Amino acid sequence: MKNIIAILVFLTIGGTAYSQKKDTVRIKTSSICEMCKRAIEGDLAFEKGVTYSNLDLETSVVTVVYKPKATNPDIIRTRLTKIGYDADSLKAIPEAVDKLPECCKPNNPFHKKKEDHDDH
Amino acid sequence: MIKYLLIFLLITSSLKAQTIVGMVTDEDDQPLPSATVLIKGTTMYELTDAYGKFTIDTQGRSEYLVVSFVGYSQDTLKITPGKFMRIKLNSEVKLEEVVIESDKSFVDPGVVRVNEVMLESELLKAACCNLSESFETNASVDVSYADAVTGTRQIKMLGLDGKYVYMLREDIPMIRGLVATNGLTFVPGTWLQTIDVGKGAGPVVNGYESLTGQINLTFKGPETKEKLYLNAYVNAMSRTELNANYVADLSDKVSTAFLVHGNLLTADMDRNDDGFMDIPKGRQFNIMNRYKIKGERVVQQIGFQIMHDERIGGQVGFGFNEDPTTSSLYGLTLGSKRYELFGKTGVLFPEKPYRGLGFTYTGSINERRDVIGRNHYEGIERSFYLNSIYQGILGNTFHKYRLGASLLLDNYEESLNDSTFQRNEVVPGGYLEYSFSGPHAWSFVAGVRGDYHNLYGLIITPRFHLQYGFTDESAIRFSFGKGTRVPNVIAENTTLLASSRRFVVQEEILPEESWNIGGSLTHSFEVGGKPLALVADYFYTDFINQLVVDRDQNVNEVNFYNLDGRSFANSFQFEAKYEIIKSFTAKAAYKFYEVKTTYQGFGLRDAPFIPRDRFFVNLEYATYFDKWIFDWTGQWYGNQRIPDTDQNQEEFRVATSSETYFVMNAQVTRSFRWGSIYLGGENLLDYRQNDPIIDPQNPFGNNFDATLVWGPVAGRAVYAGVRYKLNKPN
Repeated sequence: MKNIIAILVFLTIGGTAYSQKKDTVRIKTSSICEMCKRAIEGDLAFEKGVTYSNLDLETSVVTVVYKPKATNPDIIRTRLTKIGYDADSLKAIPEAVDKLPECCKPNNPFHKKKEDHDDH
Repeated sequence: MIKYLLIFLLITSSLKAQTIVGMVTDEDDQPLPSATVLIKGTTMYELTDAYGKFTIDTQGRSEYLVVSFVGYSQDTLKITPGKFMRIKLNSEVKLEEVVIESDKSFVDPGVVRVNEVMLESELLKAACCNLSESFETNASVDVSYADAVTGTRQIKMLGLDGKYVYMLREDIPMIRGLVATNGLTFVPGTWLQTIDVGKGAGPVVNGYESLTGQINLTFKGPETKEKLYLNAYVNAMSRTELNANYVADLSDKVSTAFLVHGNLLTADMDRNDDGFMDIPKGRQFNIMNRYKIKGERVVQQIGFQIMHDERIGGQVGFGFNEDPTTSSLYGLTLGSKRYELFGKTGVLFPEKPYRGLGFTYTGSINERRDVIGRNHYEGIERSFYLNSIYQGILGNTFHKYRLGASLLLDNYEESLNDSTFQRNEVVPGGYLEYSFSGPHAWSFVAGVRGDYHNLYGLIITPRFHLQYGFTDESAIRFSFGKGTRVPNVIAENTTLLASSRRFVVQEEILPEESWNIGGSLTHSFEVGGKPLALVADYFYTDFINQLVVDRDQNVNEVNFYNLDGRSFANSFQFEAKYEIIKSFTAKAAYKFYEVKTTYQGFGLRDAPFIPRDRFFVNLEYATYFDKWIFDWTGQWYGNQRIPDTDQNQEEFRVATSSETYFVMNAQVTRSFRWGSIYLGGENLLDYRQNDPIIDPQNPFGNNFDATLVWGPVAGRAVYAGVRYKLNKPN
């Protein structure tokens, strides 16, 4: 029984989180590929106050839905620089860029070659 | 509408007689000769030349090329007319990484055998504890309870005991011989990367021992993405577990992984008040250390495992370090020790990547000391196995073959009370396997192996697999093959000593042999915009010889003899998987088993403790990037036959058939950047078999029997745990 109660508690916490007020911010990033999309969305999924994020690879703009009571756009931008990407006017932290997957690094020749064939 | 069609036809016909020229290379721009370039949707293909170049005429049949090469992931590319096409294939390792992030368990479409792959994310759904529990969320493998005192859990496949499943670690035989029935508990769940469950006949490459299926385990190793992984687990029965995995690069070429596990349970748990512990106490220490050494032409893997395990059970109050044979309490101590050295050597042919030469080897010492009541069993197995594999192609990569030779040395020394047994096995063997996988919808693998056993003579093992894909989403698979294994009569049945029964081995037991035939149908189609995946499979196992374990003819004996008559198992399974709403996935299965064996004096009758019908449901809800995972599994077990007890006085008889029952497990996991925490429960409804022990007040009397167990003995177990991981830098 104990754990059923625990599950119910978890569900209730999850439910209340959804009912809070949410805001949306769009941030221009320096992301370039599918791997970057995973890196950014995967990291923001665990950022406090962030409920949803989606990176548009065409424009490199990430749309973030967040709870204004728990976070704000500046905190989210700072987080993006820690993942290794420029966020609007903020520059990426160089150490974080070094840790990015090879294909996500700016100026990776891979991206130029890729246009040779239309991956399907 | 017709107008558009006409325009479309005009465009396609203008593509006619389109000659495409290009080159296929690997990631490092090295040309790949003999790669297959196929026009999508047709059987027209060309092979690349020695410089990786190709010329192909599409005749306007398709706008896409499918490029494939052994060891590399297949790529489908749009034709760029009038341009030289540079096609780069990625080696297959990268493909796996992508797969790992999509589905948690799936049928690998590229495998001809009937298979299901369980990834680590699937294994995490049942956080406790070792391999015997890893299959809780899988419908193909059943987990059953051996008896009411030893706490041993056993797996079953196709309705038959786990000993008929060939267990391998990375294609090296692992849980067999003396530890065939208890070895699963020596594999901590946190060590596992993937489990590949193969039903029916297995490949001939790894040996003759697979009768109902093959389970291949991939352990974590130097290539695991976590540098450090820590796990702590505790349950309400005070079982605690600690796991630590650590990976390090020692140089450019040498990398290593340490996998460490310990578990401890010191409390006497007796919730059904029969005076016996429901689960034994115990402690285990288990370590594996493995290395990977990369050279120019040779890749080596080598590792060792050391494991000490001790289980203490019986009447409440029986403690560690007591001797059951002299204690006034009924007690049992199960001690196991395992020392293993294993490895793999692969020789590469960079200029001919489709060629491969590999050696696998393992040497191990397994010791067991099981003292159960007044019975004393001891066994030691010294085992060595070496296998060589050469693979190549015949003309082009559509026709592949593997051949090799193997050697198995096995030495057993065992004793039960006053009797001793010894066996020495020397088994050289060889095999040949041909596989065809071309531009057609069908592919097949045919293999045969011959082994010469010093005690039982020549063992011939043919195996055949066929796959036919109707469409990309549906396939039929068929297999048949033979399997043989030499049983270890006492070692495999020590849990039956937890009774007043005497072991009667009536004759010299010969190797168990069976034919297995079966197949599966997989089909997936869209329902409401989401794929509904269906799998139906049927297998028939027919024994030529079997070790019959007869618990019916005498309540004070277990009789062992060779099969005289028929023994077979029919197994049918139907499974459906569907994402009901986004991130909410349901898996449901129905299983039907008919398992019959010829028993002395009875003729053909149902084998005990196998439910004829079973239902399985697994529900999973995961939020974005698995931040929250809710997982629920429910299983319903139909009636099972219980061995006859009508020779007992009336008060010591039990029913001839079990109750039906329902067991459910659930787990909630919350992930963070650093790892995750989880809370779960097994057997949440607290279903327990009533009075699992006959006459528990007189364990040294003539009626005592703790082996007639068909359901859970321990009740609900709530658990919680934490995982910490530190990923490698990229």
